[in-house]
Amino acid sequence: MARMKFLCDADRCIECNGCVTACKNEHEVPWGVNRRRVVTLDDGQPGEKSISVACMHCTDAPCQAVCPVDCFYTTDDGIVLHDKNLCIGCGYCFYACPFGAPQYPQQTSFGARGKMDKCTFCAGGPEDDMSQVEYERYGRNRIAEGSLPLCAEMCATKALIAGDGDEVADIYRERVLRRGGRPQTWGWDTAYEG
Amino acid sequence: MAKSKMSKSKRRKIALWSTFLVLSLSLALPLASYSIHWLGASASAQDASNAAVNPKSKFWKQVRGGAEGYSAVKGEGANVLVQSGGEDWRQFREGPIMKKAPWAIVGMAVLLLLYHLFHGKNRLDVNSLSGRMVPRWNTFERMVHWITAFSFIALAITGISMLLGKQLLIPVLGPAGFASWAGISMSVHNLIGPVFSIGIALMIVMWIWHNFPTWTDVKWFAKGGGLFGKAHPSAGRMNGGEKVWFWILMTLGVAVCISGIIMVAPIYPQINIPFIDTSRGIMQQATIIHAVGAVIWTAIALGHIYIGTAGTEGALEGMATGYVSEEWANQHHDLWFEKMQQKGKVLLPGEPRGAQDQAGTVYNRQTKHTTT
Amino acid sequence: MKLKKKQTADTASGKSTSAGMLGEAINRRTFLRNSGITAGGAALAFTGGPSMMKKATAASTSPQPGVETEVIRSVCTHCSVGCGVMAEVQNGVWTGQEPDYDSPINMGAHCAKGASVREHGHGERRLKYPMKLVGGKWTKVSWDDAMNEIGDQMLKIREESSPDSVYWLGSAKFNNEQAYLFRKFAALWGTNNVDHQARICHSTTVAGVANTWGYGAMTNSYNDMQNSKAMFFIGSNAAEAHPVAMQHILKAKENGSKLIVVDPRFTRTAAHSDQFIQMRPGTDVPVIWGILWHVFENGWEDKEFISQRVYGMDQIQEEVAKWTPDEVERVTGIPEASLKQAAQTMAENRPGTIVWCMGGTQHTIGNNNTRAYCAMQLALGNMGVSGGGANIFRGHDNVQGATDMCILSHSLPGYFGLSDGAWKHWSSVWGLETDWVRSRFDLDSYENVGGKDVPTINRPGMPVSRWIDGVLEETEQVAQKDNIRAMVLWGHAPNSQTRQPEMKEAMEKLDLLVVVDPYPTHTAILPDRQDGMYLLPACTQFETYGSVTASNRSLQWRHKVIEPLFESLPDHTIMSKFADKLGFKDELFKNIELNGEEPVIEDITREFNRGMWTIGYTGQSPERIKEHMEHRGTFNEVTLKAEGGPLDGEYYGLPWPCWGTPEQKHPGTPNLYDTSKSVADGGLNFRARFGVEREGTNLLAEGSYTVGAEIEDGYPEFTADILKQLGWWDDLTDDEKALAEGKNWKTDQSGGIQRVAIQHGCAPFGNAKARAVVWTFPDPVPIHREPLYTPRRDLVADYPTYEDRKSHYRLPTRYMGIQKEDFSKEFPLIHTSGRLVEYEGGGDESRSNPWLAELQQDMFVEINPADANDISVKDEQMVWLIGPEGGKIKAKAMVTNRVGRGVVFTPFHFGGHYQGEDMLDKYPEGAAPYVRGDADNTTMTYGYDSVTQMQESKVSLCKIEAV
Repeated sequence: MARMKFLCDADRCIECNGCVTACKNEHEVPWGVNRRRVVTLDDGQPGEKSISVACMHCTDAPCQAVCPVDCFYTTDDGIVLHDKNLCIGCGYCFYACPFGAPQYPQQTSFGARGKMDKCTFCAGGPEDDMSQVEYERYGRNRIAEGSLPLCAEMCATKALIAGDGDEVADIYRERVLRRGGRPQTWGWDTAYEG
Repeated sequence: MAKSKMSKSKRRKIALWSTFLVLSLSLALPLASYSIHWLGASASAQDASNAAVNPKSKFWKQVRGGAEGYSAVKGEGANVLVQSGGEDWRQFREGPIMKKAPWAIVGMAVLLLLYHLFHGKNRLDVNSLSGRMVPRWNTFERMVHWITAFSFIALAITGISMLLGKQLLIPVLGPAGFASWAGISMSVHNLIGPVFSIGIALMIVMWIWHNFPTWTDVKWFAKGGGLFGKAHPSAGRMNGGEKVWFWILMTLGVAVCISGIIMVAPIYPQINIPFIDTSRGIMQQATIIHAVGAVIWTAIALGHIYIGTAGTEGALEGMATGYVSEEWANQHHDLWFEKMQQKGKVLLPGEPRGAQDQAGTVYNRQTKHTTT
Repeated sequence: MKLKKKQTADTASGKSTSAGMLGEAINRRTFLRNSGITAGGAALAFTGGPSMMKKATAASTSPQPGVETEVIRSVCTHCSVGCGVMAEVQNGVWTGQEPDYDSPINMGAHCAKGASVREHGHGERRLKYPMKLVGGKWTKVSWDDAMNEIGDQMLKIREESSPDSVYWLGSAKFNNEQAYLFRKFAALWGTNNVDHQARICHSTTVAGVANTWGYGAMTNSYNDMQNSKAMFFIGSNAAEAHPVAMQHILKAKENGSKLIVVDPRFTRTAAHSDQFIQMRPGTDVPVIWGILWHVFENGWEDKEFISQRVYGMDQIQEEVAKWTPDEVERVTGIPEASLKQAAQTMAENRPGTIVWCMGGTQHTIGNNNTRAYCAMQLALGNMGVSGGGANIFRGHDNVQGATDMCILSHSLPGYFGLSDGAWKHWSSVWGLETDWVRSRFDLDSYENVGGKDVPTINRPGMPVSRWIDGVLEETEQVAQKDNIRAMVLWGHAPNSQTRQPEMKEAMEKLDLLVVVDPYPTHTAILPDRQDGMYLLPACTQFETYGSVTASNRSLQWRHKVIEPLFESLPDHTIMSKFADKLGFKDELFKNIELNGEEPVIEDITREFNRGMWTIGYTGQSPERIKEHMEHRGTFNEVTLKAEGGPLDGEYYGLPWPCWGTPEQKHPGTPNLYDTSKSVADGGLNFRARFGVEREGTNLLAEGSYTVGAEIEDGYPEFTADILKQLGWWDDLTDDEKALAEGKNWKTDQSGGIQRVAIQHGCAPFGNAKARAVVWTFPDPVPIHREPLYTPRRDLVADYPTYEDRKSHYRLPTRYMGIQKEDFSKEFPLIHTSGRLVEYEGGGDESRSNPWLAELQQDMFVEINPADANDISVKDEQMVWLIGPEGGKIKAKAMVTNRVGRGVVFTPFHFGGHYQGEDMLDKYPEGAAPYVRGDADNTTMTYGYDSVTQMQESKVSLCKIEAV
């Protein structure tokens, strides 16, 4: 069975935020909720690098481990999804997630955060595939339509790659080989010393 | 039977020490885990600075260490690519908090059960009551106590549901059933928490004056609080045990309340809430403190509940009605009883109680003055 | 299917429900209603709590299961890369957007803007109805009333002053047909006071480059950069301004190409470079000459190329010799080693390409900058070769097309200029008498050129950068009958122009101010007016159709995705309304069919096909462009050439020049001046535009010609006479002969002269040398001149600016008058500006898109940590940025090493605030952008290019104070 993965090629990412708005567009994600974001490290300095990040659909997902109501599940494709019928909005997945993926639509006090929302790898949720309810709760189910996540499909420089982990790794390996040891970033003297 | 009679005092000592051991271990274990983590982190940092490796690995190590960058997306932690605190948090929560700490509650329950079975209720030494009553708790004190007490019970049940429901309740209720229970639990917990916190605050304000330790308390502890054996050590209005309970209430309770308030604050506040840092790291720590504190507290509270109800004859009556019998007062709080007598606060049988409530309050303050 | 005015009115009166009940075909409104009910019903069935999505949005645009989906192909309306957009439409509602993998330009990719274009189908913050200012309040009016009131006032101004007192400010957001129609419209109204954003974006490029080698456009393509061995970026931040181009650039880099970025800022593009060179803003010429110094010093120039194809390189070399490494470092701040390394990289890695954008163009010496860049490429022999060229990235989606259609005050479509011959040619194409067209103008003369009084019809109008002076300047100083009294801002963001305080004053002084735009724009809130102002809702390019020219000269066809929202109308329909009211509708649409009020777009395409011979916009018939759109999957990603399929051998989008008539099936020209192909296959040489000799030196090419050329040397441009001399005249058909007699390759409407020239392997425009020295310009050899507002007073004496000019584009223009004063004491910091990836242009459209607006919520200013410490400003603190002309803006400080010491940077997309104050209540209700901020051009200052009147918005001075 395929194991779906995202990979962001930091040598290609230009922080254009195309992935961010593609996601907003595809799933009509409201203001304040960002299933994907781009983080730029060493911003404005030699060595600056940008990386697009969202739910990484971990194999041993910390969110799943800490969820008090066990609302997470992993699909046959290795996509980590959650059931908003079960979610109580406690925020634990946000504390546990290394990538800051879980988002909450409400920001009022008394812990009323609303149902957690996160990247679904464009695979919807537990409701019927491509149903109206699924769209409203989780956004579009592109996996069921036979497509891949829109953020990766629309990436301006093909930095963000999504798909079966093996294929993603092959694409990246090929790029790394083509680049050789040559640094792709100003401020990195070499990619590998020696 | 003779054998059991022989070793009765020894058994009590063992039980006492083991309670102490369980309590102190449950406090110490979490810290031990932290210290291991700290040691590990500093060790790996040294590795990185010494070895000549390719620059990318240093870069990614920083990223892995939670280096902050820039992101057009605004939100708590949005500018951090990888945060490792979550993994520590998860390990700690899944390990010590979920697997170990709850045993403190079970252990306490077992201890109390054993104590009750083997020792039985601490009864009044006298067989007949004079009917004279001493005012012990005024209406306000009792109201605060009971609101806090019932809040505590609700919080404990809902809190434990959320902590352990995944293991204990999902098999019973099913995922959907438990989710709705957990949802209710969280709402109840979040709404009652502030009520409880106010109760705790009031208790501190009301009772802190009575709870500064004195020599009497040392002697009281030396005699084991009279828990075992027939002797009743002397005590003022609050005995040593009550004072310890108060200070646990004061420290752990405040920690649990404050951490709880942090937990219900919005994750990404639109405006900064004064005095509350809601960054992800603080929230993680808050949940840890909250869980550890609450579990220990629950365990100790079981003891308090036991002593206050089934464990001590006449104690519940005091908090229920505000009055204790002259005999109870003399047995458990002899020094206080003497003062009450001197002040003439002891009610004769059949005397109306209403007026004395106010007197009780005034008396409290006067005591304060007279003692100092 | 349409969301028409009528239905809106129905809804208001509560009648809308009857439409569905009567069993009419489902329209957008009933669709919305039904889906709303479905969504509501579904939500009730679940007890899991509220859904994450807001129901209103989800219902309005969510894809409906089981409803037929139509996939419509369009092109992104943001930048000039020309990314294909695939729109999924259900029942007239834009419900989905898919990556367009077939497009050889973007291969499915989008940046933040492109990935969010579906929001155009929501249009929440659009200008929904025609609005009029009554007593300072926006009031809804009908289209008819608005047109009548505006038209009457314009006719009155025309009567009292002259047609020149109405200014028609067009847009690079028009498609080609609308752009062409707009220029024609202005001509038939009788004025050359017509212009658009190209003036303030790449006008200096077009002037500089066209005068160097013939055409003023990107010579190669984004795709072709994959063949580059070296890429030299100066004043271009492609990663933010042209993100999808980076796909080709980074692929080239992975294939071994070297990337050099020269910029005052360490941009996102620079982060991916092999070498980043930080320069002082406004010193482009010294940087280039500094590199060429090393090239000449080491003999790295391409001597054969120069001798065959370049005129005047010796004079360049003389100038370059003055720029020793020490002097370059003194002026630019760049050390010798850095530029030597760059020179060596460029020399050792050929072909190399150069890319420049606003960083190079927006200067008082913008034309010098662009010509210096050209000179570098000519010296290195990088021109006319795949992987080389001058890849000038244009800005807006159709700024190339709108420039080619010449919504410019100095030219008729196809860069014909304003000569009598040009008017004659176009009058003939329009089917009108030249005299009638002339009669539309003010026939008096206000300018004396070369001892002759020249009437307004032959004199350039005012440029967009200076319209404010056309309003505010004293009437005697203005070279036309009266000042500008009415402005039509048609698809223009005023906040992209410098000197905002003066613009505010000008807007207040006007008799009539009309905005035609999908959004109210910054214009709606800038002036304090009580009346005499109208906002007319135009629809976006997704709500209409037509051709659009990407930066690489490829034409693509946009199909209509959705019907115009609310009461908005397509721009060409609004033009037809205006022409009707102003009384020249019959003449304007003589060859163009009207479908009701809407002109048929294809007829407009065919009309310009018949006239645009100069730059080969003649072969791209609507049918051919649509065919290219349909089969875009057959084109190669690197060469842009179709491999197999019905279009085998053609280049994607028929990049101009696509010579001759559509029937001649020219494949388009992928790379300009590439002699390795025959002209018939898209090859070309430098254009013979500047005569055949100068001061005894041959200007025609020597020994260089395109593959298969029958004249194996330089030759002049083709005319009927030359065909006769060459004995090729009889290759024309009889019909062609009839039309070609007495004409040349530019004016022969049969296309015969071009056909025959190409048949003999020759370029219709001749074969000449490029000229590195433009003797018709103020500085024939590009030289450095300090910006008007310079902090380097020590350099002013050595590199002074120009003398003030009495009349340039009808207006007095100051240079030395400003530079002689020292502002640097009080305003010590250099202020430069640029783009953010999330926004575009003035930003009204993108700041109204919540998906984009959320990502950049604050106007900010980048300050170097050292400067921030000097003024005790902390990161994220609010500051005042004050310009030397008195304008000030409030912005959030972003303390960063991205900018060098002494330089601050602001993005220019913000608007909606004025000098620190939010103008929210001045917008029509519900039409304010989500994000508003101070426009950085409030502090940007005076300064205009000596050839094109380009504004100097890349270098000014300022001071910063904590709020």
